[in-house]
Amino acid sequence: MNWPYVISNAIVLACIYGTLAIGISITWSSLGLLNLAYGFIFALSGYGAWLTSQYVVAVTPDALRGAMILAGGVATGALGGVLVCALAFIPVHDKPNFTIRGMIATLAISLMGTQLLLWWFGPRSKSLPEIFGASKRSLFGLVLTADKIGNVIVSIAMLLIVLTWMRSSRRGLEIRAMMMNPHAASIVGIGVRRTSFYVMAITGGLAGLSAVLLSQTYYIQPFNGLTPMIKGVSIALCGGLGSVPGAVIAALLLGFNEAMTSVALGGQYVLMTQFLLIILIILVRPRGIAGLLDKAREA
Amino acid sequence: MLSPAPNTTTPTEGSEDDVRIWRNPLTAWGGAGAEPEVPTIPYKDPTEIWAETRKSGVPLLPVGRLRYYYKWPGHGEKLWSKLRYWPTRRRILHVRGEYNPKTLRREKTIVDKRPIWWALGLLALALAPFAFPASQLNTLLAAGAFFGIYAAINLCWMLVLGTASIFSLATYAVVGTAAFITTWLSISLGLPWWGLPIIGSAIGLVFGVVIAIPATRLDGFYYSLLTLGLNELCRVYFVQSKIFGSATGGLYGADTYVPKSWSPFDQSMLGYYAALMLMCGALLLYRMVDGRRLGRILRMAPEKREAFAEATGVDFRRARIQVFVVSSIALGFIGGFYAAHYRGVGFSIFSFDTVLLGLAMLVIGGIGRAEGAVVGTAVVVFLDKVLISWGPLRLFAIGIIMLLVVLYLRNGLFGIKQQFRAWRDKKKSERRSARAEKGGEMLPEEATETSNKDLVYWRRYDKIQRDYLKSLVSSELIEEHKSNPLGQHSEALERLLLYFRRQPLPDKYAIQVVQPFKAYRIVALSGHRGVPPRVVEDKLYPSQDEAYHGVFMRRVQDLLES
Repeated sequence: MNWPYVISNAIVLACIYGTLAIGISITWSSLGLLNLAYGFIFALSGYGAWLTSQYVVAVTPDALRGAMILAGGVATGALGGVLVCALAFIPVHDKPNFTIRGMIATLAISLMGTQLLLWWFGPRSKSLPEIFGASKRSLFGLVLTADKIGNVIVSIAMLLIVLTWMRSSRRGLEIRAMMMNPHAASIVGIGVRRTSFYVMAITGGLAGLSAVLLSQTYYIQPFNGLTPMIKGVSIALCGGLGSVPGAVIAALLLGFNEAMTSVALGGQYVLMTQFLLIILIILVRPRGIAGLLDKAREA
Repeated sequence: MLSPAPNTTTPTEGSEDDVRIWRNPLTAWGGAGAEPEVPTIPYKDPTEIWAETRKSGVPLLPVGRLRYYYKWPGHGEKLWSKLRYWPTRRRILHVRGEYNPKTLRREKTIVDKRPIWWALGLLALALAPFAFPASQLNTLLAAGAFFGIYAAINLCWMLVLGTASIFSLATYAVVGTAAFITTWLSISLGLPWWGLPIIGSAIGLVFGVVIAIPATRLDGFYYSLLTLGLNELCRVYFVQSKIFGSATGGLYGADTYVPKSWSPFDQSMLGYYAALMLMCGALLLYRMVDGRRLGRILRMAPEKREAFAEATGVDFRRARIQVFVVSSIALGFIGGFYAAHYRGVGFSIFSFDTVLLGLAMLVIGGIGRAEGAVVGTAVVVFLDKVLISWGPLRLFAIGIIMLLVVLYLRNGLFGIKQQFRAWRDKKKSERRSARAEKGGEMLPEEATETSNKDLVYWRRYDKIQRDYLKSLVSSELIEEHKSNPLGQHSEALERLLLYFRRQPLPDKYAIQVVQPFKAYRIVALSGHRGVPPRVVEDKLYPSQDEAYHGVFMRRVQDLLES
């Protein structure tokens, strides 16, 4: 077995899944909303990036094109997050049965949104230009393509920026207070609605980022967001909803599993081993891996 | 007596409001200055206030907390003869018999009309094919069969989701697995169509045990994720395995109960009625589980309240495993029927969209009710299968309906009635408390706590009276009292004095003689025997009349302040 290859693949996948899962995890722990419209935001930001590459990139200098597409995807994702927040969180967050109703509202948004995308852009898939260029680099006897390196660097950088911002800024402090105890946060004057917009914009931006990164290997389609979302949700749950370190560990585990499976058994068995692994982890630790690390928010 | 106010004209017919004539009721007895008619200062007629109060702006609609029931005539001899399901003592209709206390007649009230609605609805479904328009007959019959099967699936799902309140998403995985395996068995072993649901039930039993075990350990989204994962796992497995037709988009060719020799129309009719029968079977199962012991236990131990249920001696784990196994057997049966109905099954049964649409059906109808599952299914199937010409817009419409239902309704379409009643009660109490004025009427909460309801009405009357008396106080009136504290007065002053004199004894003002004909002081009575009155003010009045007037002024002051 080609270990460096497996490990490099595992890291790349872990980065993308981690970006997705941390978004879902933050949403859940701060707002108490299980955002199942994440797949829709994902697909939407893919189309946003595609539109950017079609219309905006022609007038930008060559060096900035990749960054422009990335920014387009992230901005569309943030917009989608704000939309979901306005439709699914703001109206029901103080009503009875919020967790289930919020989840179903996001599902409804995802149903409507994907149908709208299908209607607007048609069923034909779109592809993005290679934003990190086509260069290759050899490291430890391993050929790394530019998009792999780019994926890892960009997603880790983005995660670090988001986590640092959450750790050091005033808004981040508000979000962390909401994550700890939403009632107490609202008592000391942190507006639930205002903070929810920040949170959803950030997590939507993360979804947009991973959409652009994944579309380096896959195409953009209206229903393409579903598998990444299910993977993201399962990693978030597997790591323990609401825990960032748990999500990172789960992303690494599942990324490694995916890389291993596709090498050892074949690509078609990836989903199977992945879900078997998740089921196993959840059966052993009903509150996710983060039960070890910190307190996960109860469902 | 008193002269008319300088700015008023002499009394005429047309200007009664300005200067009034007071008819002296004591004229008949004669006496000094007892004139039959005396002009008096203008004052407000008390009947005006009464008329104004009666003319309330609030419309008295015949709605309220009491619910309206039609009263059927009953007979005393028929008191105990009630229609019952045969081997049990359960009644078909919950009818309450009582005597009307006013007419003393025997009356019957149908307390729960749902069985009637169910019977009418099922009758309508049974007769519907004869009312379908001929141009769309095939579409509607196919949609009707689809509706019957999906309503049956949703009813079994509702047992887990509504009665046991476990968010399981593995329903279609059970149905699909049973359908695929039975189809495969039918193709490879030549299993007849009636064997498919039976084998399907066995598969469902195995599946039910498999998904029930984690349900005792996991809860909430963790369990729904696990079941969603299981669904994906099944999808991926069946899509990729060669024997289940990975190339053709499904596995077809199973034996079917529809005879091939029949005409297409008869075949569709048979399919429609068979699916309807399946739905009726699922309804019966729902009734048997939800309405009996198992359902009671499960509804007593919803999520997050397991500890309480356990403390009261409810073995909720066992009940959950039971409901999972029962509903999974039924789902396996439906899977076998599905295979026998469509002669096979496609991979789309495992897709996320199917789960999503199924969830939409449950949510639109209302979680936790059989009628919610059936009507929600009807709505979604109508949009999805009958309005095919709408294209992707129809799924968008389903999404919109789902979103609106989730945002505005607490429990789907069938929760509207309850939600509307709660809202109306809230509005009613808001308006009632807005009407109640401070210092006057009792607040609604206070009024319900008071056992003597006369007090409630007396408080309201007193408030109206005081408001009226306040409007009588004027400088002329005070002047009149000052000039003549005792004896006959104008009507306005007389009304005021009557009110003052009728007040209860505690804290009533009185005059204490400090020195006869020289010094008087105002005191307030204690109202209790043996407790002396308290001194109100230090001022000494030189004469009795001035002291009377002092008391009057204090009372007027108190009245205006109240």
